[in-house]
Amino acid sequence: MLPGWLPKTDLVFLLLTLAVLLLGTCQPSPPVPQLTIAVNAGVEGDALKAAAADYEQRFGVRVQIVELPYANLFEKQLVDLLNRTGAYDVLMLDDPWMPRYAATGELTPLEPLFAQKALTGPDDDFLAPCLAVCRHPYGNGNLYALPYVGNSQLFFYRQDLFEKYGLAAPKTWAEVGRAARAILRGERKVYGYVMRAAQGNAVVADFMPLLWAFGGDVLDAQGNPVLNSPEAIAALQFMLELGQVSPPGYASFNADEVAAHLLQGTAAMSINWPAWIPAVDDPSKSRVVGKIGFSAVPGGKRAGVAAIGNWLLAIPRGSRRVELAFDFILWATNSEQMRISAERGNPPTRRSLFQNASLRAKYRSYPVQLHSLETSRPRPRTPLWNEIENVLGVYLSKANAGELGAEDALRQAHAQIIQILKRNP
Amino acid sequence: MAETQESVHGELGRADRRLALLLLAPAVLVLFTLSAYPLFYSIRLSLTTPTGAWTPGHFQRIFSDRLFGTALLQTFLYTAGALALELALGLLLALLLNRSLAGRNLFRTLLLLPMLMPPVVAAVIWRLLYNPSFGLINGTLQSLGVDTSGLLWIAGQRTALASVILVDVWQWTPFMFLLLLAGLQSLPAEPYEAAQMDGATRWQVFRDITWPLLRPTVLVAVLLRLLDLLRVFDQIFILTEGGPGFATETASLYIYRNAFRFVNFHYGAALSFVLLAITTVVSLWLIRMLRGRTPAAERS
Repeated sequence: MLPGWLPKTDLVFLLLTLAVLLLGTCQPSPPVPQLTIAVNAGVEGDALKAAAADYEQRFGVRVQIVELPYANLFEKQLVDLLNRTGAYDVLMLDDPWMPRYAATGELTPLEPLFAQKALTGPDDDFLAPCLAVCRHPYGNGNLYALPYVGNSQLFFYRQDLFEKYGLAAPKTWAEVGRAARAILRGERKVYGYVMRAAQGNAVVADFMPLLWAFGGDVLDAQGNPVLNSPEAIAALQFMLELGQVSPPGYASFNADEVAAHLLQGTAAMSINWPAWIPAVDDPSKSRVVGKIGFSAVPGGKRAGVAAIGNWLLAIPRGSRRVELAFDFILWATNSEQMRISAERGNPPTRRSLFQNASLRAKYRSYPVQLHSLETSRPRPRTPLWNEIENVLGVYLSKANAGELGAEDALRQAHAQIIQILKRNP
Repeated sequence: MAETQESVHGELGRADRRLALLLLAPAVLVLFTLSAYPLFYSIRLSLTTPTGAWTPGHFQRIFSDRLFGTALLQTFLYTAGALALELALGLLLALLLNRSLAGRNLFRTLLLLPMLMPPVVAAVIWRLLYNPSFGLINGTLQSLGVDTSGLLWIAGQRTALASVILVDVWQWTPFMFLLLLAGLQSLPAEPYEAAQMDGATRWQVFRDITWPLLRPTVLVAVLLRLLDLLRVFDQIFILTEGGPGFATETASLYIYRNAFRFVNFHYGAALSFVLLAITTVVSLWLIRMLRGRTPAAERS
């Protein structure tokens, strides 16, 4: 049996021991400087993970990688910023998130850090559209990040089928529609087109280039919603026409299903991100090795414009190792490291690398990618983008699933977006 | 005060009580940090603006939030549909496998397999099965000569909700079956013997003996499933993410979206409390039914 009761001093001692134990597990004091990086689980994150391992070896800095799936990365990073937890020293973020992150006021401005190193800023080998998404406000605001992966949308099409039916690489969406119908008529097992139409980020990303080509937009220059314009409605009507030459059930397709149809050779055209390019020519994954051509996104009323989707590296203000983090992102985005990242499958954000002979030999799509990236546009720059994208995604998906007509869908999306803007003045 | 307490807990000396409190302290501390603190924190969240001012605004907004209304309705449809099918199938299987049957143990084990699979894995597999072009289901139907051109499963506006219900039924009928089988096996033998003597038909035996005796088990099983179904998230998130359009959006998904995707923790907290209230009311009603039916429960 224990003694009748423990004296107060014992109680205090017990609690102190507990507290020390708890604190001890939270904050081990690192013997070497340590960086914690939150990255996307996927091709892009893999390259940065590999780079971090190199960095560790070379500079004796411990780099801890926190790998998160795309859907959770945003939440974790934003919560970290809002609470200034200091859990992460470097954030790898998708560029549409930049306005929301910057709006917290919790990202470290990079220009003063460049100045400390007697540098004027990022060198001019970086492509202008890639640097523009790193600034808030877009284009000419403070620099909060450096661009690591230079994604922008590309148009994928089956060159062999286009030759078979005497078609030229499509320059406009009208030509895409004609070619898709011709191929669907002629081939028994090949659909004319395939797209991501699952609600959310997917369908919106595939709709944006159509919307822009038809002369429409989500928000105008003053930030007012303009989705009920005749141009936007025409764009959605055309998307539904493309749906008629797409595989059944396309309204639930995401990247995996689109890739499956392209790689199995059951769809002739698609808009896609460069991450899928290596798979196209990989015989273990693809039945269409060497048969797919890449071109710029088709135009319409306006010239074709691809959406940019860069992965950026930024530093939270809450980080306790800002200088060290800055050293790392400078190193990771320098020409040599980005070349290695490109070898690992990530499109660069530097002009010199798109023109690099050995990379061009490895990736036949580089000239088109460079053109697409240079002429790309960002998705609307607003901190409310996630919410707007969700509403637009729901109604685009409803239209593609046949529940609503193009006009009704966009009218309702428009009304909801007005509500969102009203709620968050 | 101290004296009255002393007299109430007469047996425990002051020292013993101190020790008792001390021994309880870690558990209470853990309970407080893990459940009470987050609860009060989220209550505060649901009633404040991001700047910290008190407001009833989030709850007011819920009343005009049509999307949440739709999500709730779909949650009820999902719950009702899945629950009815799981109960019917589970009961049928339990009755079947309660009798002596060749290979009974093998069947029982096989039936439990879906339940052992993580819901996320099950959802990914079903997503592939449902694929209209490459999926096993439409593929099999086609090889049997069925025209599957209109069969879109989770991609169809009208079929999506039923398709996600089907996945839940596949995965959780075994749970129902397991509980009901245990219930059946613990039933007393005497009433059955008496019924046999009186020449009761099978249906009469089920209606007048099995069902009334099994009822408490059924209610427990239904209650457990109900609580899970009302807050379903992972399967639907993987299968459809609420789509196409809004066709399979449930309350939990909608709350998640508002709290974490749109980073509106305040509104998300308010929505959660509405869902909590509904879940509580429904389960209290079920629990009362459960109590009211056991003979020992006295109303007086």
